[in-house]
Order: sequence, then structure tokens, then C-alpha cells
Amino acid sequence: MRALPGGMARTLERAWSGWRPERATHGNVGRPFDLSYRVQQHWGAKVAFYLYLGGTGAGFVFCELLLRGWGIIDADTAAFGMWSGLALAVLSALAIFDHLGPVSRWSAYFAFRNLRRSWISRGVTMLFALLVLRLLLALPSLPGADGLPWAEGTPLGDALRVTVLAVALAFMIYTGLVISSWNAIAFWNTPLVPVLFTAFSLLGGLTALIGIAWISGGPVAAHTVYGFSSSTILVLFMTAAALLALYLYGMSTASRAARVSVGLLLHGALRTPFVGGVAAIGLVIPGLVFVASALGVIACSDATAPLFLGSVVAVQLGGYVLRDVILRAGVYGPPV
Amino acid sequence: MTRLGFVVDLERCVGCMGCVIACKVENGTPRGVHWMRVLEREVGTFPNARRTFTPVRCNHCANPPCIAACPTGAIEKRPDGIVLINDQVCVGTMACLTACPYYIPVRYDGDGAYFDEITPYEETKYASFREGTAQKCTFCVHRVDEGRPPACVEACPADALAFGDLEDPESRVNELLDHRRYFRPREELGTDPSVYYLVGKGGGPLGGVDAEAVE
Repeated sequence: MRALPGGMARTLERAWSGWRPERATHGNVGRPFDLSYRVQQHWGAKVAFYLYLGGTGAGFVFCELLLRGWGIIDADTAAFGMWSGLALAVLSALAIFDHLGPVSRWSAYFAFRNLRRSWISRGVTMLFALLVLRLLLALPSLPGADGLPWAEGTPLGDALRVTVLAVALAFMIYTGLVISSWNAIAFWNTPLVPVLFTAFSLLGGLTALIGIAWISGGPVAAHTVYGFSSSTILVLFMTAAALLALYLYGMSTASRAARVSVGLLLHGALRTPFVGGVAAIGLVIPGLVFVASALGVIACSDATAPLFLGSVVAVQLGGYVLRDVILRAGVYGPPV
Repeated sequence: MTRLGFVVDLERCVGCMGCVIACKVENGTPRGVHWMRVLEREVGTFPNARRTFTPVRCNHCANPPCIAACPTGAIEKRPDGIVLINDQVCVGTMACLTACPYYIPVRYDGDGAYFDEITPYEETKYASFREGTAQKCTFCVHRVDEGRPPACVEACPADALAFGDLEDPESRVNELLDHRRYFRPREELGTDPSVYYLVGKGGGPLGGVDAEAVE
């Protein structure tokens, strides 16, 4: 990996930590009139929450529908998983609308207007489509609504299930596309970002489903889900780690602005959240727990519940921090 | 088809900030909000150090990333190429701020007075700024529609700024471009900006030519 030019990380670190918007105005305000690299300041924790909650919620719904379709999880666990996934999606919608319309908050419905060109518009539309379609799919399971033509096992129900799966997958990809579609920030502008975010969304969704199965059905239910998906989870852990390494390596050999971003993550102000939060807590520690479980060193039982549930929480934490640090590491090149 | 654009002569710019002040006076932008800026940097080391100046404003790109990013559709491009923000539709999503590679737009959230109490001038001027909306250079569209040049062009004492129709071979901007070396800011991003920077003899290290070396 190519080393950063001398002092660049420190310079950016100072720029990143020292600047705050003047009063309540956002943008290029209060900045010196100079030509330099700048860290983006506009997309922060709220957008990271949106990308994490929306992606993981979609991953949750995707895995829950798939495992239910294959008969791996029972209806109760599927319903619990569905409501949890949709709750995450609703929370993500609240986060993005809070970010999109902080002043004219109730005008945030405008966010749906530019479907033709804006990925933000497409994303919020996809998110609401996912909510509506998944609720529609759940309707026949409610008492008194079992006569609906799209009940489980019917051709219409199967078609709706496939549609929900497709929308959930599209939304997971979208969480990366929304930032990779902009070429202003070189660190985001790569097709690896959607792939990386999709892998983390699937990992977050699948591990969360194991947690939900444990909560709803105890170690037996969790073991059933894990027994079926353990190899998938391990593959997802390895894929996520490999993609992350590939992404950082690729960016470290890209334009100077991208290299500055990599420097911020590996040597600069974002080193602790990245190395500690994403790599250690989000991937290595839970990965080791799941590997140990797959090798039979740790069994699914009440005694090991804290370990498994803790690992599930750690994956979620790592998923959020990943989005957050990637957003915060976005650096603009000089404007001229 | 008209396409309005700017030409900035980096050899002529002396960094007097006359264009910045002219823009402020003309448009009455609130405290801290500058639609026109002159970026400065130091080149070399003592005793061979010097300062260079690069005037920047919205590049009114032919392929503006801000329009593609805005989820509300608040940013529009006129047939003459001027990119404008409709503040009745903008809700301050900051998508344009993030998407613009030139980090030009800013969001005005009110409280923009320069002094403890708002002056009558500020009261009058700020009335046209809707709080919570994105702001950027309008190419002095009100002046251009009257046949007058943008305030920054008119104010420049060094005649470093020129504007005109890029599609008209007889226009002043094309006359300048025909006789000088030039570059466009971050052209490699595909934004197709309508601003050209002239460089010539002695103009080599200015602007983007070695901007990558800035640290």
C-alpha cells in the first residue's frame, strides 16, 4: 500500500477536527479562501444511520423471506424478523428525512420528486416500496385476512415474495450506489462501494436474524437458523473482510484525494473507529465466535447466549461504524 | 443555441477581491455566504515565495452533478446554460453541497447579520433569501436578462474576468480562448463547466496546473 505524502494525514486531521460551520449556516462558510483538499462535512451520522439501518433492515427482510420460503424458520420467527426489519427501515426513513429537511422538515416529501435523476429520490422511494410490499405480503397472515389471493403458497404470493426480495436486494445495493454515483469524492466513486455495503447489509441482516431467532425461540431456534446458514455467515464474514481490504488497497493506489481518505482511516483521525469499530469489533471478534461455533468449540446453549448475542450486536455496531467512517473520510480534491 | 460562460485570466488577477465585494453588494448575500470567492495559495519558499489567486464561483456546468443529486428537483438549468436553485422547492437537503466537486453551494440557515443588530440594508437584502435553502451564484441572472454583465465582471479592475456566449465564435470569450492556453476546472469529472481559466507565459503554476501539489 503506497504511503501517504508527508504530513497529509495530519493536515487533513486538523482540517477535519478543527472546522465547524459558522453559526447555523452550512457549506463552504467560514472557510479560508484557499486551494486545498477538504473533508466533506455534510453527510454524517444521520446519513450513516440511514444507510446502516436501511441496508440492514433490507438484509433482514431478505434473509427472513428466503429462510421462511425454504422452511428453515417458523412463521413466528419470520414474523418477528419481518417486524424487526421493517422497524429498522422505518427508523432509517426517519433518519434520512431528519437529515434531508432539518429546517423545512415537513416539506421532506419533496424528496420523492426527482426520481428521474436523483439516487436519494430513488432510494427513499425504494424504501417505502419495500415497507408497503412487505406489509402487503404479511396481510394474509392476519386473522380474518386469510382469504386474500396472495396468501403463502399461492402463485400471486410467490410473485409478491420474489418482488420483495428483489426490492430488498436493490435497496441494499442502493445504499452504496447513492454515494458511489457522485464523482466529486474519489473515495466513494467506485463500484466496490455498493458491493461492500451489500455484503455488510447481508451480514448484518443474517446475524440479526439469528439473534431474533434466539430471542423468539431460544437456543434451539437459533441453532436451527445458524445450523443452516453457518457456512453462508462465514463466507459473508470473509467476503466483507476481503472486499474491505480490496477497497482500501484500490483507493490507496487511486487519486490523491482517495489516498488522503485512506490515510484518514488508517493513520488519521478515523483510525480508532475504523480499526477498532469496523475491523476488530465488527469483523474479527464476531467472526472468531462464529468460526469457533462452526468448528464445534462453542455450542448453541443458554450458557453461550451472551456470547452469540454479543457477537450479533458487535456485527451491527461494526456495520454502522463502517458507513459512518466511509462518509466521514470523503475528501474533495482542489476545486480548480 | 446560447451557452453563457466565464473566462478568467489568471495572469491578470491580482487578488483584490473586488469581484467578491461586487457580488456581495449586488446580491446582498448574508454573512459568511460568498457566491464569488478568490482562492489564494502560496507558492515556493522564501525568498522565492509568491501568492497566486484563482477566482471561483458556480461553474454553471453543462452536466451539473448538483442537478443529478438534488432529490427535490429544485435545481434547474436555463436554455442559456445558467444553473439556478428554485428556493421555493429547495428544502436544504445538502445533496448539492456534497455532490458538487467545486464545493460551491452553501445552505443559508438564517442568522446572517454582520453586526449585533440587523441593518436596514441587510433586512431588505436578506428578505430574498429563504432560510434553510441552498445558495449559489446565479450568474447575476437579473442583470444578464437586462443585457448587463454580471457584477463581478463589471467590477474587476484588472479586466481578468470576461463573460459571453461560448457558442458564438465572435464573442469576447471565444476571442480570448482562441489566443491563449486555457483549462477548465476538474474537467476530467465530466461536468463540462462553463468557466475557462486562461494561462499563458508565466501562468504555468497557477490554478489547476499543479494544484495536486497543494498541501
